[in-house]
Amino acid sequence: MKDLKSLLVAKDLKKSYGKHQNVFNALKGINLEIKEGESVAIIGKSGSGKSTLMHLLALLDAPTSGAVFLEEQNTSKFKQKKLNHLRNKDFGFVFQSFFMNANDTVLNNVILPLKIAGVRPKERRCRAMEALKIVELEDKAKNKAKDLSGGQKQRVCIARAIVNEPKVIFADEPTGNLDSATGAKIEELLFNLNKEKGITLIIVTHDDDLAKKCERRINLVDGQIKENTK
Amino acid sequence: MRIIDILRDANSNLWRSKIRSILTILAIFIGSFTIILNTAINAGVNKFLDQQIENMGGDGYLEMMPTEAYESAMSMISTSEPREYTDEDDTISYYIKDDQIEAIEKIDGIKSFDVLYPVSVDYFTSDKTDKRYKADSFNLIVPGINIDMLTGETPDTSEDAEYEIALTESMAKALGFETADDAVGQTIKIAVPNAVKCHSMPRNECVAIVEAKVSGVQAPGILSIAGSRANLALWNRIYDINYDGAPEISKPRPPQAVADVDPEKITEIKDKLKEIGLSAMSVDDEVGMFKTFFDAILIVLNIFGGIALAAAAIGIINTLFMSVQERTSEIGLDKALGMSSAKVFFSFSAEAIMLGFWGSLLGIIMSVIAGSVINVLAHATFLKDFPTFNLVVFDPKSMLAIVGIIMLIAFLAGTLPARKAAKKNPIDSLRYE
Repeated sequence: MKDLKSLLVAKDLKKSYGKHQNVFNALKGINLEIKEGESVAIIGKSGSGKSTLMHLLALLDAPTSGAVFLEEQNTSKFKQKKLNHLRNKDFGFVFQSFFMNANDTVLNNVILPLKIAGVRPKERRCRAMEALKIVELEDKAKNKAKDLSGGQKQRVCIARAIVNEPKVIFADEPTGNLDSATGAKIEELLFNLNKEKGITLIIVTHDDDLAKKCERRINLVDGQIKENTK
Repeated sequence: MRIIDILRDANSNLWRSKIRSILTILAIFIGSFTIILNTAINAGVNKFLDQQIENMGGDGYLEMMPTEAYESAMSMISTSEPREYTDEDDTISYYIKDDQIEAIEKIDGIKSFDVLYPVSVDYFTSDKTDKRYKADSFNLIVPGINIDMLTGETPDTSEDAEYEIALTESMAKALGFETADDAVGQTIKIAVPNAVKCHSMPRNECVAIVEAKVSGVQAPGILSIAGSRANLALWNRIYDINYDGAPEISKPRPPQAVADVDPEKITEIKDKLKEIGLSAMSVDDEVGMFKTFFDAILIVLNIFGGIALAAAAIGIINTLFMSVQERTSEIGLDKALGMSSAKVFFSFSAEAIMLGFWGSLLGIIMSVIAGSVINVLAHATFLKDFPTFNLVVFDPKSMLAIVGIIMLIAFLAGTLPARKAAKKNPIDSLRYE
């Protein structure tokens, strides 16, 4: 484990919202390092800043001060175009409330990142089917997304997250909307991807059981890291 | 993201809220339909006029009348101040005076020139029929104008020619000739009253019969509306019979004159005529007057079309603002997955352009259908004599231009909501739901 390459590094990350007297400091100086192939849980109560931290690490937002380094490069120096490309190519996203086009087919939902990347129709359909195979939903490809169960929806979202073969998957409460049995399946799927494909997993959760399955837990309290344990 | 994908998605996004999109498209359709149909009618009428003018020739044709007569004809309401009477003023209505005629003859560039005396004719008849037909429309063949002939020849316009007439097709039929060709070379009878005799004698006894040769039959056109046309020899003969024995003072004076002039000098000649108190109009001037009047009607209709389009543009803005609102989390997801703001902007603009496209396409289809119906109806009624004239003429180029302009308007209307969509922050949008 020692010779793993550093993937994401946060250096004194601060994030505040509002102005003057109404300033709210969501993150008060975060330092951490996530290595390639790790599985990391970011835990904490609501309002602890765990979502904000994920947004900063996922380059969806810019910190008020400090910087995020991706593969030892300072991302605050990147242009918007490069950030868009990175999120599309290197990152996969899984959200608590899925965010799917309910009226569109399962296949088209999985295709979305490839479409944004400008991949040609034939290739993207082929790659989306591969991704659906991994989550065992290839037979539902032509179904409308809204006709799926919650667990199936989240599997489609995982297929969407991995379709572009990312380096990292950011999962924001991936089991939050699911019952424990289906939740367990989703967890299994995510950890398999971590182990078999070496995809780094960053999971935001307040579910202790899920957090315990990760190699590392970062516990946030009031915008600061309280614990960073293996 | 590839442009084809953006366009395809934009189109399928439109149909996610069908009723809203259809209503917006209908609004665009009303505007585009009006404008496309107007343009087509304008094209049809202009094509017809141009064709007729070309047939007429008439590059050097000038019609002149006293400026006072011209001005009182032009102004519906006389706003001029009372004018003091002089001994030169005449109690009779305006006419072309002898000294003016002399002056006209001296103008350089006038090839031929005729003073038009008014004549009166009671009826036409022929050996083939017992019926008599009123000669309501009867005119002189004027120099410089080509009469479009269906068959036969244009009457000889020299002063000492035989008495000849070019009938209209309907008059030839009425006079008992089965076809237009049958009438050519035949003789018809024209009943001409005499001003003196008709004071004291019954009408049927005071008329003289003049025989005239039918040189040909006119093709339908704007000239044939003016009726059968006599040559100068026949016209002068009729005038002589009309006023034979009448005192000079009671003979009508010529209200107008026509000339065939050098087309290159036409403006100069018009200026010179103005100096001697005559207003002259060329064929272009006369057609121009009609076109101006016609254009004014079309401009009003096009303004209505424009207002409909303006309302439609607001409809586009409205419907797109609603879809930006509805699709906030979708926009957030797209941006999180790496779509650039420019592409988000373009995808909403593409939706606006699609609305414009469908609206104007519907406008084209419906106006082509309406135009064909109008053409059929027109040919069955007021355009019966003009089988080759289509009132509505569609020009693919101008239709494409209109579609282009409407799509541009739609795009501009769409920029407002598209900008709002492009500015959305992915995190806030994903929190929304």
